[in-house]
Amino acid sequence: MADKSNDPVALWQNMIGEMEKGFNAFANRAMASPEFSKVVNQVGGVTAGAQKQLGDLMEKYLLSMNLPSRAQMVSMAERLASIEGQLNEIKALLHQVHGNPAAPGGAGSAAPRPPRTRRPPPAGGEQK
Amino acid sequence: MNASAGLNSAGLDLAGIPERIQSEVQRAIQRSIKGVEYISTSGPSLGSTPKDILSVRGTMNLYHYRPVADEIYRVPILIVMATTNRGYILDMVPGQSFIEFLLKRGYDVYMLDWSAPKPEEKRLGMEDYVLDFIPDCVRQVQRDSGESDVTVIGYCFGGVLSLLYGSIFADGPMKNLICFTTPVDFREMKLFQNFSDRRYFDVDHLVDSIGNVPPEMILSSFEMLRPASRAASQVQLWENIWNDEFVKSYRMFDRWATDTLPLAGEYFRTITKDLMWDNKLYNDTMSVGGRKADISKIKVPILHAVAEHDHIVPYDAAKPLIAKIGSADKEEVILKGGHVSLVAGANAIKRLWPKLDSWLCERST
Repeated sequence: MADKSNDPVALWQNMIGEMEKGFNAFANRAMASPEFSKVVNQVGGVTAGAQKQLGDLMEKYLLSMNLPSRAQMVSMAERLASIEGQLNEIKALLHQVHGNPAAPGGAGSAAPRPPRTRRPPPAGGEQK
Repeated sequence: MNASAGLNSAGLDLAGIPERIQSEVQRAIQRSIKGVEYISTSGPSLGSTPKDILSVRGTMNLYHYRPVADEIYRVPILIVMATTNRGYILDMVPGQSFIEFLLKRGYDVYMLDWSAPKPEEKRLGMEDYVLDFIPDCVRQVQRDSGESDVTVIGYCFGGVLSLLYGSIFADGPMKNLICFTTPVDFREMKLFQNFSDRRYFDVDHLVDSIGNVPPEMILSSFEMLRPASRAASQVQLWENIWNDEFVKSYRMFDRWATDTLPLAGEYFRTITKDLMWDNKLYNDTMSVGGRKADISKIKVPILHAVAEHDHIVPYDAAKPLIAKIGSADKEEVILKGGHVSLVAGANAIKRLWPKLDSWLCERST
């Protein structure tokens, strides 16, 4: 088998790795400049404002089309999440009712918990 | 030509060339087959260690992982996840799960994980996280475990939140603190500093106009730290797509890395102004909800694990933690790897996890 120094596949992989490092280093140097920060934040600021205006416009458009807006869909998702949360609470209560309250771990645990008596292994000893 | 070794004068292994060509042809065929498989199937199921949901309140989720050992340590662990990412990075798949490792080593594990804050949660501020969510989870862990002491483990910004919590509630009940790659000196996060340069970055305008900071913005700011890495990783994936283990690992990490969470608007405003701009945690001037958060007040045993090649939290940003903390029992461990490979994957299994276990077991009785 060819060694790494003359294996074309290994050379290709090495070249990709070096290109990645080189490009990252170059980009990091460019991004460290105040000019970069200025341009990025100017563009970002404009985009954020435009995004908000577009969002408002879309909401009006969807309303006129009798379609739910994103906010309404999010609100429905929240209601579903809230129902899921309530189901979890009911599940936890059922565990509490059917669990053994006298078991270590107390109420709320469906199965008895192991005792909290574990000690560290002796120095140089293997963990189970 | 060295006939016996099959080498020519340039040192090329001529005898090995047919074998190499054959292997590459086989891999090319496998790539085509596996490439189709890759597109048509979903990745492995992540975060599947059995757990019970103890509490869900808005963005806050508290889980309890079911113990697997016959006997567990007295002090339970509460893991505080970073607010930008999902907690399943610590619970990938069996055999590569930090949670599973802890359970097998006899710890009782809870996790404070985050879900995406909803639009109406844009007003959640630092005080909600530090003075409400974490103390609430600690109380629930105490109640559920029946123990008054709790070990807190914070990953990345979860570490910052844990430090703030620990400094405000310095009298307990936190018994031990473990931080993974936790920044303290935000001046040293050079590129993030530049992205959020106060002369050009109008955080008020951003938060006032869009509310919560969208996950795409968080993700692109992480990716900008290494802009070529995504393309290079795609090339790597194509080269190794014949290798099932590589693909499985790639899918796990890629899914997690792109599963970024939005940040609550007010919380992001505080991070930018207090930490990125004024570096208040490092300057000992940080306060949360009017309560001073000075990390020199923390006296509990602390372990800080940092990564040698961390591009998100450079070592210089994390280094002052141990010097500034008030604990007498304190240790920093620098391990090979990056921001994510420190805590998950093959490197973590060999390096961080056993180190953490040997440090924590003595302090968990």
